[in-house]
Amino acid sequence: MVVLLNSLSVTDCLNLCHRVVDGFCGREPPRRADFSAAWSLEEWLQLLDSLAALFRAAVGNNSSDEEVSAGLADVGSSQAATVLKVLRARQAEIRRALLDRTASISCATLQDFDWQLKLALSSDKISSLHTPLLSLSLNVRENEALRPVTMEMNKEELNTLISSLETANKVVLLLK
Amino acid sequence: MRFRFCGDLDCPDWVLAEISTLAKISSVKMKLLCAQVLKDLLGEGIDYDKIAKLTADAKFESGDIKASVAVLSFILSSAAKHDVDSESLSSELQQLGLPKEHATALCKSYEDKHSALQDKLRQTSLRLGRLQSVSWRVDYTLSSSDLREVNEPVIQLKLQTQGAESGRTETNVFSVSADKFRVLLAELKQAQTMMNTL
Repeated sequence: MVVLLNSLSVTDCLNLCHRVVDGFCGREPPRRADFSAAWSLEEWLQLLDSLAALFRAAVGNNSSDEEVSAGLADVGSSQAATVLKVLRARQAEIRRALLDRTASISCATLQDFDWQLKLALSSDKISSLHTPLLSLSLNVRENEALRPVTMEMNKEELNTLISSLETANKVVLLLK
Repeated sequence: MRFRFCGDLDCPDWVLAEISTLAKISSVKMKLLCAQVLKDLLGEGIDYDKIAKLTADAKFESGDIKASVAVLSFILSSAAKHDVDSESLSSELQQLGLPKEHATALCKSYEDKHSALQDKLRQTSLRLGRLQSVSWRVDYTLSSSDLREVNEPVIQLKLQTQGAESGRTETNVFSVSADKFRVLLAELKQAQTMMNTL
């Protein structure tokens, strides 16, 4: 279906390819209205799918330029060159998106986290508490749903967590 | 009258009334009674048989025993809560009608356990969740359906936390990509540095 690219000018083709990669990496995907070519909705969706699949496969299999060009045999040479140019320029970004997808194959993954450092001043038990507390909120993606995991840690608990993560980090650094 | 050990408020009427009950036993017996109440406040358990024996010769009824334990418990925990020193506590109790020897005996026990009592109060203050244990495992991903050569570490974390409302232990298992893990660790360290300056 990449053959549909032939009806685009080289500038539009470059634009479209970049926007497809944007969409793949979690940013705004291309809008049909921006590309005035006379494609039906079905053709447009097929084109997007096949372009995304092409980029994914090329980066996923670490394909050489020749292998990618072979898949673009039906496309005009200037358009094929454009696709290849975009692929090479944004290879690292696509790889990172694929790494994210790989990491999220497990059933629960850490999506993001927020923390807040507080100083507890007083409580019903003691008028001068003066204890620093760290609230940590972890957003865990589990079966497509976000589940918050929250905890409040005092100094000792935070030290335990950090020293534990630190030992794990040493192993991670060894693997790099 | 306002009292420091009552948080700069009036002394509750029931406390005022039961102070005269305390005056009925000897100051030595009251000191032993204080030791039992302090044990209870520190979570070490209270020996009711011992208390019954201590108060036997003063012919205390069960109502009097309960009242004296309650009033001692109030005085000791409230004084620790408002961080009153033992001298001020002694003078305030004497103003409320507790004999001098009794006040001195009570304040001696209070002084000895003052910091332990405050630690206990600090520990039992409201907390919204606690971290109980951390387990981890580092995996090395070789390949996946998305990417033929991955070669990236991924960290599996298991955090056992105590929930805020339920108080039940919850187990959370999830994986963290190497990049996110680095950011998480760096930010936690940043928070730790700030915490240490407080």
